[in-house]
Amino acid sequence: MHVTFLPRGAARTRTPVTSKICAAVAAILALSVGGCRRDEVTHYRVAKEEPGQAAFRPAAMPMGGQGDPGEVAPPSAPDAENRLRWTLPGGWTQSLSGGMRYATLKPSIPGRIDVSVIVLPGSAGGELANVNRWRAQIGLPAVDEAALASARKTLQTKAGPVSVYDFRSEGKARSRTVAGLSSARGNTWFIKMAGDADAVGAAKPEFIRLLETLRFED
Amino acid sequence: MKIKDLGVRLLGALTSLKTSIVCLAALMVLVVACTLAQVNLGTLGAVNLYIRSFFVWWQVPGTGWSIAVFPGGALVGLVLAANLIAAQVKRLELSGKKAGIWIIHAGLILLFVGEFMTSALQVDAQLAIEQGQTLNYIESPRELELAVVDVTDPAHDDVYGIPQSRLASATSIDIPGTPVSLRVRRFFQNADLSARVPGDPPSPANMGVGASVSVRELPPVTADDQMNRATAFVEPTAGGRSYGTWLVSNALGAPQSFTHEGRTYVLAMRPQRQYLPYSVTLKQFRHDVYPGTDIPKNFSSLVHLSNPSRGEERDVLIFMNQPLRYLGKTFYQASFGKGDTLSVLQVVENPGWLLPYISCVLVTLGLLVHFAMSLRRGMRRRQAAEPVGGLT
Repeated sequence: MHVTFLPRGAARTRTPVTSKICAAVAAILALSVGGCRRDEVTHYRVAKEEPGQAAFRPAAMPMGGQGDPGEVAPPSAPDAENRLRWTLPGGWTQSLSGGMRYATLKPSIPGRIDVSVIVLPGSAGGELANVNRWRAQIGLPAVDEAALASARKTLQTKAGPVSVYDFRSEGKARSRTVAGLSSARGNTWFIKMAGDADAVGAAKPEFIRLLETLRFED
Repeated sequence: MKIKDLGVRLLGALTSLKTSIVCLAALMVLVVACTLAQVNLGTLGAVNLYIRSFFVWWQVPGTGWSIAVFPGGALVGLVLAANLIAAQVKRLELSGKKAGIWIIHAGLILLFVGEFMTSALQVDAQLAIEQGQTLNYIESPRELELAVVDVTDPAHDDVYGIPQSRLASATSIDIPGTPVSLRVRRFFQNADLSARVPGDPPSPANMGVGASVSVRELPPVTADDQMNRATAFVEPTAGGRSYGTWLVSNALGAPQSFTHEGRTYVLAMRPQRQYLPYSVTLKQFRHDVYPGTDIPKNFSSLVHLSNPSRGEERDVLIFMNQPLRYLGKTFYQASFGKGDTLSVLQVVENPGWLLPYISCVLVTLGLLVHFAMSLRRGMRRRQAAEPVGGLT
C-alpha cells in the first residue's frame, strides 16, 4: 500500500479537521455502543416446538469438539501419543491435514490412485460395515461375517494387528481397493488405496510395506 | 499557550507520515503474530486477541495480572484511520489534480470503517438441521445463553435468553416481563462436570440434578474444534421467595424447571438462539463423492423456505459458493453429520458486507485516475519539451 501526502503548506483551517475527526470518532463509538446491546436479556414468544425438536438440547460441538457426540462435524484428530506413524516407501509423498482425513499419501506409481489415512474414534461402525462400504463404492455386493473373515489377511505390526482387504470391481474399467484397518488406543484407522485396478495393483507391494511399518511413537 | 503547543504537536503527530508507517508496521506484526497464534488459540481466539482488541494483553504467569504489551488491531486501525483522515484534510490539496489520491484515501478509510462495522455488528450463527426437520431459529456456534422459558401456555412459549457474558458479570439479573430474578452464585466459563463421589466438597446446588454433580473449573478454550462448557449456579427468586440453587450447564442434557404461582419456568444453558420470522425445512442433504473414492464432490442442502407473512413458499438448493441470501442473512453450506442426515449451514449477517468491495473499487479507481492523470501530465511535459517541427 502506498500512501502519498502533499508537503506542508496546503493546510486547511483547524475547524474542519477537528470536526471531521470528531465525527469519525463518534461514528466508531456509536458502533461500539451497538456491540454493548449484545448483553441484554432477549425475549421471544414462539410457538411450542414439536416433540423431538430438542428445544433444550445441550450445545452442539462445533467441528467435532470435545464432549457431545452430536456429530455436528468430523471428529478431531487423536492426541499426539495416539497418532499412528508409518514409513513412506521410496518416491511416495504425503500431506498431513490432522482432521478426520488424517493424511493423503501419493505413491510413485502413475495413474488414477488415491491413498488416504482416515481416523475415527471408537469402532467407527465396525469392520463389516466399513468393508461393505468400500465394496459398495466400487459396485460390489455386501458380504457377511463369514465372507469377511475369508477376505481378511492380517499383518502383524508394532501398532498391533492390521486387517488387510483387497477388492476388485467387475466390468471394463476396473477399480480396486486395498485397505488396512487398525483398531488401537481407542481409535480406528483406515489406510486405504483406491483407484484404477492396474495402478493400485502396481502400487500394492509398496503399500503393504507401508502397512508393515505402522507404529505409535511412544 | 502550552496547551496550544501541545495541540499543534498532537495534530502534527496525527498527520505525520511516520505515524502511518509505524501503524502499518504494527499491523504487519499483529498479522504475523495472529497467524502463528491460531495454532493454539484457534481462528476466533487469535483474531479476538490480536486484531479485534485495543491492546494485546499478556498474563503474568502465576499472578492474576495482565499487562498490555502491544497495541491491538482495533487501536492501530483507529489511529491509522484518524491519521489518514487528518492528513488528508490537512495536507491534500482539494483540487481535481489530486482526485486520484482523494479517492484512494477514501477507499482506505472505508476499509477501516468496514472492519469496525464487521467486528461490531456481524453476527455469525449456524443452522444445524436434520432431514425432515423444520426450524425457525439459528444458533451461535460459540456464545451460550441461559434460557429461561415460560412453558405454561399450551400454544406458545415465552423464551428469555440471558447471554453468558451477562452471567459472567452480573450477580443479580431481573427477567423483564416476569416476576423472576436470578442470583448468579458462581459462573465458570468452562468446567468439567462429573458425578459426585464421597469426599467431593458439597455442591452449592440444592435443587435439580446439580446436587449430585461435581464441578471442576477449567481454563477457557478458544480452538476451533473445542467448545467451553459454561456452567453456573443460579438461584431463581420470585415474589420474595427463593426457589433454591440450581446447576445449569450446556454439558447437562436434561432441562430443569420450577413453578411460581402457577407458571412453570424451564432453565437450560444452550447455544444463543435468534428466532426468525420464517422457517427452514431440510428436505434433502447430499454428500456426493467421486466414484471409488472418499473425496467429496458435492455437499448440498435442499431446503424449503416458508415465510407466511410475505406469502413465500419456495425450495432453495444451497451448495458450495451458492448460499441462500434472505432478509439480510446469508446461509452457507458449512458442515454435516449424523450419517449424512444432518446439515450444518453457517449463517452470517453483516450490515457492512459491501464496504470492503466498495473500498477495493475505490482504491482501484483512485489508482487508475492518479496513473492516468500523471501519464497525461508527463505526456504534456514531453510535448512541451520537444523542439518545434521543421527546424531539423
